[in-house]
Order: sequence, then structure tokens, then C-alpha cells
Amino acid sequence: MRKPKSPNKKMPFYIMSLPSLVLYSFFFGIPVVSGVYYSLTDWDGMSKSYRFIGLDNYLNSFQDGRFWNSFRFTFQYTFILVAAVIVISLAIALLLNAEIKAKGFFRSVYFFPAVLSLITVGLIFNQIFYRAVPQLGERFGIECLQSNLLGNPQLAIWGILITNIWQGAAMPAIVFLAGLQSVPKDLYEAATIDGANGIQKFRFITIPFLIPMLSINLVLVVKSGLTVFDYIVAMTDGGPGRATESIAYIIYQQGFRQYQFAYGVAQSIILLIIIVFLSVIQTKLLSRKEVGQQ
Amino acid sequence: MNKKRLSLKILIYAFLVLGLLLILFPMYLTVIVAFKTPAESAENFFSFPRQLYLDNLKTVVRAENFLYFLVNSVVITAVSLAVILCFVSLSSYAISRNKDSRYFRFLHIYFLAGIFVPFQVIMLPLVKFMSRMNLTNQTGIILLYITLANAQGVFLCVNYLKSIPMEMEEAAHIDGCSAFRTFFSVVFPLMKPILVTLFIMDALWIWNDFQLPLIMLNRSSEQWTLPLFQYNFKGQYSFDYNLAFASFLISMLPIMIVYAFLQRHIIGGLTDGAVKS
Repeated sequence: MRKPKSPNKKMPFYIMSLPSLVLYSFFFGIPVVSGVYYSLTDWDGMSKSYRFIGLDNYLNSFQDGRFWNSFRFTFQYTFILVAAVIVISLAIALLLNAEIKAKGFFRSVYFFPAVLSLITVGLIFNQIFYRAVPQLGERFGIECLQSNLLGNPQLAIWGILITNIWQGAAMPAIVFLAGLQSVPKDLYEAATIDGANGIQKFRFITIPFLIPMLSINLVLVVKSGLTVFDYIVAMTDGGPGRATESIAYIIYQQGFRQYQFAYGVAQSIILLIIIVFLSVIQTKLLSRKEVGQQ
Repeated sequence: MNKKRLSLKILIYAFLVLGLLLILFPMYLTVIVAFKTPAESAENFFSFPRQLYLDNLKTVVRAENFLYFLVNSVVITAVSLAVILCFVSLSSYAISRNKDSRYFRFLHIYFLAGIFVPFQVIMLPLVKFMSRMNLTNQTGIILLYITLANAQGVFLCVNYLKSIPMEMEEAAHIDGCSAFRTFFSVVFPLMKPILVTLFIMDALWIWNDFQLPLIMLNRSSEQWTLPLFQYNFKGQYSFDYNLAFASFLISMLPIMIVYAFLQRHIIGGLTDGAVKS
């Protein structure tokens, strides 16, 4: 195989990579590094001077009730979201992959929520929980539906989750569907001849082919859960009380509204460490189970 | 056997239709409430409007400069996408054909790192940085979209380029094509499936994004995009929810129209790229 070897021949490739490299370093690399630096100071985001205070922002975060509260909320939220979205999107993909009429129509409707903006969907569901569901509850005399779900500190998380699942299952379902369509048909035929039943075929043929899709979906859904922000702003503003404050929400509040700039940055870096940690574990676990790898 | 198969089929359709209703119900409410008078929806929230009452929609469009926000959203999305496709495909090509070079291997990892870094990490430093350089405007936000699209874009494209054989590029090289000429007339057309996938994913992301406009463009309403308009309009309908639903309908309308015409291409484009990479 011929590859450009001398530096002269590589010149065009350096030029090709240059625009991306420059922009990426300017607007991504530098902010990350300066973020790490700010997190070690006590800057409020406004004043001219600030002091270097080492790891205090991190240590204080772990003693801060508000941070722990958002931490607990975010993890509970992400855990339920991931479980629900993966199961529901896989079910949708299997249904859409079955031999049905009007396949294209069903596929279009099921994917539709994914093209809408999170803020609009959040506001729509906010109104539905506020106005429509209580009306339904009164009409049919169901007591638990008569009050606003989002006004109850214990139940508000479920209101946001329902909204997120309504919208968030569409994209993973399409990814799973693509995976199902890539399974060679003759494998199923061979398995049928060997006397395998439906469940066995699903377990030993379908699942292994879906592992790469599962891995993509997990990364996307876990990240979207851990950084949930738009729905919170649209539906509860962190309330009632502080019941639905996510980590992303308090980072925004502290950075822009409460003059705790450096403190917010430190918490964002804690969030980064958690995401990297989870991603490493997940890749390790799933890469062993992929097709073609023992 | 046959009976079992028939009942399975009925079960499949039952679930499909149930899902359909769950998805369409919020959309149904949005449309009907937007066309009802406040008195009418106080009477019955769920009923079909008796006549086509257009005042809600008119109020929203008149009160706010809706067309302005639509143009802002279109310009930001279109310009960002054009540059993203160009920059990402160029740098991915350079990375994938120079795996023996330490510089390009580093570059690959450098770009991929962006996938794991949540936006919140750069959000606060970025705003300080951008306002110092007078970039808290549309130019600034376009630069940010181009930057942030690199992580996922390079990941998808480099993966995809692995599956494209190098013979054609070598032939072009022997025929005397420069690296740039080879890229634009041989490689770029071959990358079309993955670039379509990237185009759709980034278009949906930029069009619907709320967080970046919120921190970059929220100072003057001339700069607003549609999601930002939707958010800021919240204060104006606290008493009149028919107005609220009219604003939901109006801000969803552009993407609904695009989706109605292009849904097959959008879904197909997403699945094609996902399978091959």
C-alpha cells in the first residue's frame, strides 16, 4: 500500500486538518483548560481579582447539601431514564421490524418526537400536567390525577421523566431498528432448521447483533440523563422547593445567577469525571460481548 | 399454529396503535387548543374546536417578531452545517489516511475527547471568553456549533472511511491528482451516506438547541432563535393558555413541515450511516 511518506507529501493533510484544529483548540481546548484553572480559584465571575484556593471548591461541593441533593436527583433520574428508554426503544424497534402493513407510516410517527425541540416539548407537557390531566381526573373521578404532578415534590421527577421518555425513545429506537435490519436473514433460517424457538433466536442471534447499537444508545442516553437541563427549565425550574434541581441546572444557576462562577465550574468537572468513569466501565463490559469477539 | 400467529399479529398491531395514540395525543391537544377561544377551552379542554379561531395565532405572530426568529434559526443552522460538513470531512480524511503519524493519531484522540466532555464543563469559561472577544452574537454561536460538531463528526467519519478502499485514491494519485483534488472528486462523493447522517443529526441538534442560545444570545430579542423565543414567551401567557399552545404550534410548524416532506429521507439517512459505521 502506498502512503504519502515524505513531509512534503503530507503537507496537504496538515492543511486539511488545520481549520478544525484551530477552531477546536480555541473554543474547546482552551475553555476546558481554563475551566480547570478557574475551578481552583474563588472567582465570582464578575470582580477583577480572585485568589487561588486549591481544591476548596471541590471539597466544599461534597459538603454542600444543595449539590448532594442535585447529585441524588440526577442519578435517580438517569437510572430510571436509561432503563425505561432502552427497554421501550428496543420494544418499538422490534414492533416496527415485524411484518406489518403501513410500516413507513408507523415509522414516521414513532420518530416524530425526535425532531421537536426539548424546550417546546417540555412546555407542552408542563401545560398538559397543569391543565389537561387534572380535568381528566375530575371527569373520571380519579383522585390521584386531580392535582398537578409537577407541583408535588415526590412526584415531579416522574412528570419530567415521562416527558423525556416520550421524546427520548425515538432516536434510540431508530438506531436499534437499523441494527435489526443488519442481521442476516439466513441465520434465522438456519436456527429454525436446527429447531430453535423464538426466544432462543432472539437471545442468541438478535441480541449479539444489537450490542454495538446498545452501546451507542447507552452512551447517548446516559449523557443526556446526567446533563438534563432543558426539561427542568421548561417544566419545574428546579422546584417544587429544590426537588428537581439537576447538576446541570445548579451549575447554570450558580454560574450565571448567583455569582459562584468558580464553584459551578468545579462541579462541572466533577460531572465530567463521573461521565468518563461510567463510559470506561460500559465500554469494557460491552466490548467483550460483541459479535466476532470472544 | 395459525391461530397463534394471528393472535400475535393482533397483539403487535394493538401495541403499535397504543404507541401511536400516546405520541399523537399531546400533538392533538396542541393543535386544538391553539384554535379555540379561552371560553371554549375552559368548557372542555379536549373537544374539537367549533370554528377555526385564528386570533391566538395572530396575537403570537404580531406580539413577537416571529419571522425574525425564524430567519435567525435558519441562518445559524444553514451556515453552521455547510462549514461543519466541509471541515469535518477534510480533517477526518486527513486523520484516517495518516494513522502512521503521531500528530494525526493525537488529533484523533483530541477530537474524540469532546464526546465525553459535557457541555457544562466549557459553558462558564466559554461565555467569559466569548464576551471578552465580542462574540456573544450569531457569528460567535456559529463558530461554537462548528467547533462542537467536530467530536461526534470525526468519530463517525473516521470510522466510515475505514470501510472505503484506498485503491481509487491511489489510482487518482497516479493519474496526477493532488491530495485536495483526490479528496473533492473521489473521497467526498464516497462519504455521502455518512455525511447525510451527520447532516441530519447536526441539523436537528442546532435547530432545536436551547442551552447555547440561552447563554449567548439572550441579551437582545433581535438575536433570538426559535427555541429561545419559545422560552422567553413563557412570561406572556401565564393567564391565557390558548396563547401558550398557539406559540407551541407556531414554533413547531417549520420543522413539522420539513418533516412531512422529508421524513423518509431523514429516517433513511440516519439508519444508513448508523449501520455502516
